[in-house]
Amino acid sequence: MLEVKHLSISFPEKERENKVVLDSSFTIEKGEILAIIGESGSGKSMTALSIIGLLPKDARVSGEVLLENRNLLDLSESERRDIRGKKISMIFQEPMTSLNPVMKIGKQLEEPLLLHTNLSKEERRQIVYQKLEQAGLKDAEKICSYYPHQLSGGMRQRAMIAMALVCQPELMIADEPTTALDVIVQEQILKVLKKINQEEKTSILFISHNLKVVKDFCDRILVMQDGKIVEEGTPEQIFYAPKHSYTQKLLDSIPKRVKRPEIHLNTPKVLEIEHLNVFYPDEKQGLLKRKKHQVLYDISFDIREGEVVGLIGGSGCGKSTLSKAILGLLPWKEGEIKHYTDFPQMVFQDPYGSLNPAKKIGWILEEPLKIQKKFTKEERKQKVIMMLEKVGLEEKYRRRYPRELSGGQRQRVGIALSLILGSRFIIADEPVSALDVTVQAQILKLLLQLKEEFQLSYLFISHDMDVIAQMCDRVFQMKEGRLYPVESGGNYGKL
Amino acid sequence: MKFMIKKIITLVITLFFISIAAFLAFQIIPGDPVLSLLGMEATEGQIEAMREQLGLNEPLLIRYGNWVLGLLKGDFGLSYHYQIPVANLLKDKFPVTFALAGLTILFMFLSAFPLGLFYARFAEKKIGRVFQIINQTIMAIPSFFLGIIITLIFGLLLKWFTPGKYISYTESLTGFFGYLIAPAAAIAIPKTAMIVKFLQNSVLAQRQNDYVRTAFSKGNTENRVLYVHILKNACIPVVTILGMMIAEIMAGSIVVEQVFGLPGLGRLLVASIEARDYPVVQVIVIYIAATVVIVNGIVDILYRFLDPRIRVEA
Repeated sequence: MLEVKHLSISFPEKERENKVVLDSSFTIEKGEILAIIGESGSGKSMTALSIIGLLPKDARVSGEVLLENRNLLDLSESERRDIRGKKISMIFQEPMTSLNPVMKIGKQLEEPLLLHTNLSKEERRQIVYQKLEQAGLKDAEKICSYYPHQLSGGMRQRAMIAMALVCQPELMIADEPTTALDVIVQEQILKVLKKINQEEKTSILFISHNLKVVKDFCDRILVMQDGKIVEEGTPEQIFYAPKHSYTQKLLDSIPKRVKRPEIHLNTPKVLEIEHLNVFYPDEKQGLLKRKKHQVLYDISFDIREGEVVGLIGGSGCGKSTLSKAILGLLPWKEGEIKHYTDFPQMVFQDPYGSLNPAKKIGWILEEPLKIQKKFTKEERKQKVIMMLEKVGLEEKYRRRYPRELSGGQRQRVGIALSLILGSRFIIADEPVSALDVTVQAQILKLLLQLKEEFQLSYLFISHDMDVIAQMCDRVFQMKEGRLYPVESGGNYGKL
Repeated sequence: MKFMIKKIITLVITLFFISIAAFLAFQIIPGDPVLSLLGMEATEGQIEAMREQLGLNEPLLIRYGNWVLGLLKGDFGLSYHYQIPVANLLKDKFPVTFALAGLTILFMFLSAFPLGLFYARFAEKKIGRVFQIINQTIMAIPSFFLGIIITLIFGLLLKWFTPGKYISYTESLTGFFGYLIAPAAAIAIPKTAMIVKFLQNSVLAQRQNDYVRTAFSKGNTENRVLYVHILKNACIPVVTILGMMIAEIMAGSIVVEQVFGLPGLGRLLVASIEARDYPVVQVIVIYIAATVVIVNGIVDILYRFLDPRIRVEA
């Protein structure tokens, strides 16, 4: 149905050209789900944007994108507009920012019909309702009267899907449509897409960085690396007989559930929380007194030495609030938090924001030691070098600035920073969520390695069940401010 | 609705504090209104009699109370200088200032939005860059200087109006507004240039957002994306600066009134400060403060109209 031939995309940059896609060719059949897998910078998103014609204006494109024997790249802007939203539609990663915040859902959904058909208002409304229901949203009439912020993330993405369907396109491009969503919602969205694919025979081009997500979902997989398609095949071929070394590397990066010996009940505790309730002051303020509302309810759990306790939950469930409360950053709380180790340290999602951009890595790592005033200059230097080595960075990184490091290297620095004072309890808040899969695998390995070496305990916060399964001895799920234990070896899929 | 009531209550409280400040400020600042009224040669007895007559010998709290009650009843007190009720004094000035402000705001609205959108639409083209240079130049011209230039070109050279020959609204309404066109333009033009710049910035910032890409993916044209999707979002920050400017315009432009010889509030304010005519100054201060507070209240309400996200939080 759609054929891409020798597609190359580049961006002019000062002297030379920055090539992001190199001579890529592939086809999408009618009713097929094709997945393009690759890490950031692999050119997967650029490929998708070139098909729908939304590349940045300075992009240089060569090759052919054939739809119904017409080369889309040769069409005029107005001819391309006629195809956009009608024959080819697109859904994006972040359903919140991808919908217009000041326009009602109904109005946004009927827009493609308004642009491409002569249907009456009533007919448009009927189609919108029908598509919303197809995307799994009941009470379509009410949804249509809402603004995007009044819907949950999953509902927004369903609305996006309905919007992409109203003109019954031949092809729907889905650019990481589940990446920003909670695991549970992720699966629902994939189901909806699959259902639509079967009912409407709409072809889907699914862009993702996550091989595992697409395994049971797509008919064929393309693996892209550095702008090139390195492997193509059915999920079976890719998963069980990968030919390219990069595909193998991606497969190895998928977190695997590991069976770990149980922790003895008489192992000393590092943290004990009893009946913790946390409140936030209300945004809306009475004229004089400030009201508060509860965000965490009766939380009780402990963490023992050498243990990794996982905390899983959707966005806004209170995960980060709990970690802040443990660190003592929230004044509005009741209940008890007992620490049995030196004060815990944190590893953040993206350490870039927390590393002073004007200072070198060596200085940043030395700073906590300076504050302690216990070490001589030489001791500090030796400690920093030692710590860098432990997290797998050479000594020369002492003299680098944060911006000169890759995301993975920065996270290594973040880990080194949390350990440099000899803390033995670490709260890791989504430490690998911002990283590419292969880098993610390395960081997870490093965290486990350090745990053994220094007898560390982790409170490991993540929304990714696979990561949690690989890392944790015990898992709790957080839901609307309450904590529920997940049985060991239990099926996280049924959360 | 609850929001409106809350808003009005805060408004009243704010005005109350402003009235205290306006009243106290003139008790503290040096300079005796009685002396400036009677001259330096006045005898002790004359001064005392005058103080009594003006009610200056009463305790502070009672004077404040009387003053506020008077304000509420529309009795603004007696001008020290002219010895006539302040209300009568203001009666002639307000229509001039209001008419000038109204005309200025009308100019601003009629020109700023089309020009700002035009600028944003063609920002990257050659015509956009030329526009940028012109706009930046206009932004830098002070109103009074623009007033002088307008007087020179349209008054003296083209003779569209007679400079300095102010026509009162009691004489001829058309003549009155005709005369106000030039000063209104002098105030509006630099402010319009600023709003144009602001709107253009806001539109270009909005263009980076994901929802714009979504809009294009549906097959929207460049213009439709701009008018249907971006405009409302882009107006949200512009409303703030627009509110500030409108409040400023409503307060009356002293300099432009001077240049065009308009008997507006601004000139009365300057004259009254010089004469230490405190009852007049106090009322004008209250008026200006109230204008700022009320316009800001309207801006808050407008925000809620433009941005549904704010509506829910409150």
